[in-house]
Amino acid sequence: MTNRRAHGGSRRSLSAVEDRAEPTSRRAFLARAGVGVAALGVAGCVSPAGLAAAHGRPPKRLRVLSKGEAATYGTWCDVLAIGAAKAGVAFFVDKYLAEPFPDSLLLIRYLQNPPFTDFYLGGIAGIDQESEARYSKPFVTLDDARKKSVVEAAVTSSTIAWTTPNPNFFYFVSRSDAVDVVYGTVAGFRDLRIPYLPHIRPRQPW
Amino acid sequence: MKPHVHDPVEVLVIGSGFAGSTMAAELAEAGFDVLTLEAGPERRLRDMVSSQIWARRLKWAGPPVVEEGDLVGAANFGMGWGTGGAALHWYANWYRFHEDDFKERTLFGRGLDWPIDYEDLRPYYDRAQVYVGVSGDLSQDPWAPPGDPYPMPGLPEFPQSAAIRRGFEALGVPTAPNPVAVNSERYQNRPPCIFDGWCDAGCPIGALANPLVLQWPKALRAGARLEHDAYVTKVTTDASGRRATGAEYRDAQGNLRFQPADLVIVACHTIWNSRLLLLSASAAHPDGLANGSGMVGHHFMSHPIVTIYGLFKEPTRPYVGILGANLLSQEGYDNKEPAPGAFGSRSFQAGQAAKPNDLLGWALAQPDLYGQALDDYLRKASEHFGNMTVLCEETSVFENRIELDPGETDAYRLPAAKVVNNIPEQNAIRLELARTEGLAIFHAADTSKLWASGRNPEHLLGGTVMGDDPDRSVTNAYGQTHEVDNLFVAGASLFPTSAAVNPTATLTALALRTADYLRHQRAALLP
Repeated sequence: MTNRRAHGGSRRSLSAVEDRAEPTSRRAFLARAGVGVAALGVAGCVSPAGLAAAHGRPPKRLRVLSKGEAATYGTWCDVLAIGAAKAGVAFFVDKYLAEPFPDSLLLIRYLQNPPFTDFYLGGIAGIDQESEARYSKPFVTLDDARKKSVVEAAVTSSTIAWTTPNPNFFYFVSRSDAVDVVYGTVAGFRDLRIPYLPHIRPRQPW
Repeated sequence: MKPHVHDPVEVLVIGSGFAGSTMAAELAEAGFDVLTLEAGPERRLRDMVSSQIWARRLKWAGPPVVEEGDLVGAANFGMGWGTGGAALHWYANWYRFHEDDFKERTLFGRGLDWPIDYEDLRPYYDRAQVYVGVSGDLSQDPWAPPGDPYPMPGLPEFPQSAAIRRGFEALGVPTAPNPVAVNSERYQNRPPCIFDGWCDAGCPIGALANPLVLQWPKALRAGARLEHDAYVTKVTTDASGRRATGAEYRDAQGNLRFQPADLVIVACHTIWNSRLLLLSASAAHPDGLANGSGMVGHHFMSHPIVTIYGLFKEPTRPYVGILGANLLSQEGYDNKEPAPGAFGSRSFQAGQAAKPNDLLGWALAQPDLYGQALDDYLRKASEHFGNMTVLCEETSVFENRIELDPGETDAYRLPAAKVVNNIPEQNAIRLELARTEGLAIFHAADTSKLWASGRNPEHLLGGTVMGDDPDRSVTNAYGQTHEVDNLFVAGASLFPTSAAVNPTATLTALALRTADYLRHQRAALLP
């Protein structure tokens, strides 16, 4: 890069724009965002798990995953993002595996072509396969340290039994699902103390 | 199966995205009878729900794309589905190609030459920025090629950009407000942006120009018609193959229909323009419609990018702003040979707003963190995250291509599109240089932590390139196919080179230029 003096010229700051914003739209909007953040500070901290419980209204029954598969996936995702199980990650995935592809809200739709059910079922089976190979137990029964070791094996592509779907890719996708339900909702933003700033507020988190 | 045959139209546009909707609006306003067929569903402003989760419904949901190579993976995220196509969730970065971008073969012995140069397109760039509404400040931009001032002042600088700019300043590298098709003030009855950072979910207030608020109201007021859930499977010709006669398509129930037309404009997203021409093979066009040269599908390009991330010591409020960049530097852009073995231009696009989740969120910027470590990082990043896209050029090479893959089919057993794209070595070397440059900027910007992504693709270009030589291109400078006079192509699939800038300004300028051509050539082209 050339070592030139930085180009001159001024630029409006965000605060300067806020001062001149249209009173019925932009200024009120940004002021609401600021007040919202300040109010959170007064209310104090709330644990991720506690807010996760209030995030949504999960569907009442599973359509694709078995109860055992949902439990394994929820437990796995709970290691990835604290509170994911209570936030309904297994129901989130189950619901959208059952929906037609155009209606899917799963991030995996960006990364590969449908259908996605075999990917998820294979990954859930792989979790238990790895758990059994290492500890002769299903994943949901492991203590926290052993659960973490199975996750770490997927992160570092060092699984000893689980080979398909690619464990590292499955980790990536499932972590995204977990982050979605814990942090990617109105409640999740509140927990992170950042303003949601919606044009159109989602009627439900997913 | 015999299709249901509709009444003929003068102009049939296939695809309702930025290029297709611009063509429909321009030609309808010029008095043409225009029908657009859109494969996806009808979209309304209320579909633009402020959520990275719900926004996924605006993305591609059509037939599968098979991808092979080391610079692929952008298709399903980059394309759209429904009215407006990808333009419902685009980020409005708005740049002109530079003069040398049009003559790479002549100047550097690489890639292709455009059949036009910058001065041919300049008046249309000038028109396009007024048509769409662009905010920027040319007085602070030493790199922009000659052109009219932007119709609106630049957006304000957001805290994230201010933090990153200090890195550029410390290294003596100039920056400028990033030009974007986002209103900094009220423009053409559309309100100014409120900087909520939900651009990926669509802009229902129309502060970010999108076809639902810009082109489609114009087109529909002028009498154009738009049919949704109309999946075009073939463009047809007469027996001689020299005249397009219309298009076959499947409706929402799967019924086969035929739409006769005097003039056909293929304006799908890049991959689908090539696929449709290849699917439209016939006795007169055995290798695909308008593919006597064998060029349909070839010279596909993407932009190789790397993202620089940082946690800044000062607060950055990354959730506020726009997803398009807020800060631009094209210092050194015109030096396409910056080091031995390296080739291509490079742009720094900094200060994009982000949310915690989704592909561009700050969670996925650190994919190896999970559990408490992830939670700790997310809380820190919520107020201190910063990011910058370093976008480079991919040289146009014949071998990078879109082809039909009979091993994967759509609902009607038609072969899927397969994209094969491998980054030329010289471009890969240039990208690595750019990564080093970007990290140096963030290091100079007083970050407590900085890191970079791997190489990723962004944007889909080429496949139906324009050119003067019918043996080395698919269309002429107006997007008119060499072999079928009343068959045109619109969109970034026309690009012979990628440059190192986002494509929408250029594809819009080309669409306006072609619309002008069609207005003047109406008598010759229509029966």
